[in-house]
Amino acid sequence: MLKKTTLLLFTIFLSVALHSQVGIGTLTPETDLHIAGDLLVQEDFNIKPLPSVTQPDEDFKLVTRLTNSTPLGEIAILNVDSLTVAPINVINYEFTNIFRDNLSDVNLQYSAEKYVVGVANFRYVGDAIQKQDGTGGKTIGTFVLRTFVSNNQWHLEIKNRDLDLEDGKSVRYYVTLIVYDKSYYRNLPPIVTDLGGSNTGTASSIPDLY
Amino acid sequence: MKYQLLLPLLLVSLPFWSQVGINTLTPAAELDVQGSVKIDKKLYLENPGNSTQIRGSKLLIQKVDKEIIEYDINQSKYGPINYAQFIFRQTSTHGLQDYDTKINIEDYIVTLQGYYFTAQNNNTNVLLRSTIDENHIEGYQFYAYPNPATQTWFIRAFVNNSTFRSGTGYNENPVDIFLNIVIYRNGFIAKSLNTISVNMGQAETGTAPLPAGF
Repeated sequence: MLKKTTLLLFTIFLSVALHSQVGIGTLTPETDLHIAGDLLVQEDFNIKPLPSVTQPDEDFKLVTRLTNSTPLGEIAILNVDSLTVAPINVINYEFTNIFRDNLSDVNLQYSAEKYVVGVANFRYVGDAIQKQDGTGGKTIGTFVLRTFVSNNQWHLEIKNRDLDLEDGKSVRYYVTLIVYDKSYYRNLPPIVTDLGGSNTGTASSIPDLY
Repeated sequence: MKYQLLLPLLLVSLPFWSQVGINTLTPAAELDVQGSVKIDKKLYLENPGNSTQIRGSKLLIQKVDKEIIEYDINQSKYGPINYAQFIFRQTSTHGLQDYDTKINIEDYIVTLQGYYFTAQNNNTNVLLRSTIDENHIEGYQFYAYPNPATQTWFIRAFVNNSTFRSGTGYNENPVDIFLNIVIYRNGFIAKSLNTISVNMGQAETGTAPLPAGF
């Protein structure tokens, strides 16, 4: 580091070295402009060029802007570990002491305004449901695993809708819920396509992603 | 770094409307720094404008050494969310009983979010039959789980007490299993929470406890 000349400009404390480094609140700037305190930018903020991430980089954090800070717009690091709710939350669930095989409607209580809830890692652990005689042969029924919105909250259904586990038999369900925060994960409107009895088709509309 | 032999004062140009340039005599904004900036405390951007499209913009990240840089998923070691199809050919007729992905459990969260299976050569004539009773409709278990012994994620893909059958006469034969594996980087935008156990008390409907903060 070169020896620096310092001078006082207006009421702010600027230090300008031969290679024109400016310090605010410091006599020993370490960069071209070094502010030993806060910086408030009231209009545009442009950086060019900004270096890009490289292969060895790891454990970096997402940079975000707070819309509820004073002054407005504090730049903060998204520290997922200290947040109660992350953009993506992975939560294992286990359901025991179920009536037959039927989880008809479990209120998961996640607000549909704030979250999208998906399922992963499903496990059926326990006794098998028996096939039953139906018209034209035996039926295996219809096994359903889904999340759905009811009264603005996410709910879960897991069961064979048509057949039931026999008395004295039991099953436990294990499922992983992926809870996405809607500020990062957009819930698009349903894409409805009437296939008119065909088993192939083309989308009636495509999601607007641009 | 550009060296200026002029008086240091010249390097700070202050016209009437008080634009300040550092290392430039022609600042293009109220403050124009031709070089690097370090802020020891907080940075506030009161009115940076909104991005109205999800294309044409890049996320900003802060490295461990505090430098703010641009995130480029094509250059980064990992994405926030990573997808890989795991294809297991010639899997035992009993399915995939245990498979070590070698992905460590500290840095990643591995989830199985979809699957299908075929007989050899993408033949879709494949079925499952219970080895206990042919009237059994056995349950599926296709999932990823963390193995504390190896500190890595494992995958299982099988059907309880059942074998995959295909070919003439639907005998027990190996299958090809296709798994959609979604891998989240732990601590970037994803985290895992504690397991929630729900005792349904022999009811068909109920309410699961909500994790704190949701």
